[in-house]
Amino acid sequence: MSKEMSYSKAIQRLEEIVQSLERGGIPLDETLKLYEEGAKLLAFCQQELAAAEGKLNEMKLADIENKLSE
Amino acid sequence: MRTGNDLTTGPIPVGQFVNLVRNTLKQDKLFQNQVITGEITQWKRHSNGHTYFTLIDSDGQISAVIWQGRCNIDPLIEEGSVVVVIANLDLWAKAGKIQLVVSKIALVNKLGALEDRKKQLIADLRNEGLLDRTRLELPTIPHHIAIITGSGSAALADMNRLIDNRWPGLRRTIIGVMVQGENAPGEIVRGLLAASKLSVPEIADKMEVPPVDLIIVGRGGGAPEDLWAFNLEPVVRAIVASRVPVVSAVGHESDLMVADLVADLRASTPSNAIELTVPEYDYHQMLNVSLLERLDDAAQRIIIDWRRSLQLLQSRLVNAPLRGVYNAYQHVSELGNRLSNIVADRFSEERQRLHRHTTMIEFAIHKKLADETTRLAVLNTSLNSSNPRNVLHRGYSMITNKSGSVISKTDDLTEGQQITLALADGRAKATVDGIEEGDKNE
Repeated sequence: MSKEMSYSKAIQRLEEIVQSLERGGIPLDETLKLYEEGAKLLAFCQQELAAAEGKLNEMKLADIENKLSE
Repeated sequence: MRTGNDLTTGPIPVGQFVNLVRNTLKQDKLFQNQVITGEITQWKRHSNGHTYFTLIDSDGQISAVIWQGRCNIDPLIEEGSVVVVIANLDLWAKAGKIQLVVSKIALVNKLGALEDRKKQLIADLRNEGLLDRTRLELPTIPHHIAIITGSGSAALADMNRLIDNRWPGLRRTIIGVMVQGENAPGEIVRGLLAASKLSVPEIADKMEVPPVDLIIVGRGGGAPEDLWAFNLEPVVRAIVASRVPVVSAVGHESDLMVADLVADLRASTPSNAIELTVPEYDYHQMLNVSLLERLDDAAQRIIIDWRRSLQLLQSRLVNAPLRGVYNAYQHVSELGNRLSNIVADRFSEERQRLHRHTTMIEFAIHKKLADETTRLAVLNTSLNSSNPRNVLHRGYSMITNKSGSVISKTDDLTEGQQITLALADGRAKATVDGIEEGDKNE
């Protein structure tokens, strides 16, 4: 997965892959490659969804500045 | 002190006289703590810390001084500003000069003055090309939002509530700053700097959070002066300098700040900022699931078709050499392995589906191999039935000449020829004693 891959690009590519698999008529090897790519993209998207989850951190300006200068 | 013209004591020294005047002035309430308005001219902030100027209107003028530290001077006050002052009249004896000693000074039309500055700043930014510069792209799913706003403010509460409605538990760092008053611009700038630092991967790593990838800076509604920090150059420049996209979210829909003009995205209110930047978790999760289902359904259909063509291939393989079957098996099994490895990390539902697919492939392969084995057995049987040795068992024997060629016709025989008879369990040597030709058509 390239470093510049973004969630929206991944979704866009997934849509393309699903559509071409749905259309069919692709050689078996190509099908497998597409499926493989689609599976990786889906895993990436799931990671992206999970990565957004975290703590709520509320700090006063001075506190965060202190923490940053540690 | 002399109080009148007393000729017997001679003339009054001028200094004494001036001081007499000064005392008179200082005793008159009219000249003390007077509220005076006028326009500023000859505005000069002296290096000694005092500020000198002349207050003027069409009918008169008077010098004025603000001793260092005596009162706050609005940074907006400048040459030509119309001000109102509270001042005492004083006479500086040494110079014989009357002046106002100012204890308070304020702009008469502060908002007007502010607006003028704002317009100037906008014009400067436009000239620098900062208003129509390319904006940073906002992340579809922000991994770490920094929100710079008043701690404990209603705006913050609104934003937090909206975030948790849309994406429960979305990671955010809230940097509490002053959003109005003298310290607001400085604190907002420092808040933006702190957020920018948190966007540096190495620094974020140390704090054990993903880098900040979106900054929201703003506050709720208020009087124009209260929102003014967001029209000031330091704040605006800090927004421009950010390497992370900045959303400005100040006041109400109708409040347009200079910060709004330079931000990567302008939100009309703090709540609007959340609506524009925080996606809905449910929507994206459903999108993922539906793409997963479509991908799997399509793959399943293809695998079923594939299985059919495997079966077709099977029937065509009847005449193919065994090595071909083996290669095909290898290929199919490799494809099957790849297919099952692909999705090892994905959710269980999909893994189950995949397992079904893999099972189908394995089933197809096994079936093909079984069929192939049957085919070989059949071949073997028919091969066996045509093996000449089996014929010998039935009482026939095979004649060969010296060179081992099979002799099946009398034409190939001569009298006295040595021949070999192959029987079911061995061989016998014989000599041809005579030849009788039979019916050639037999």
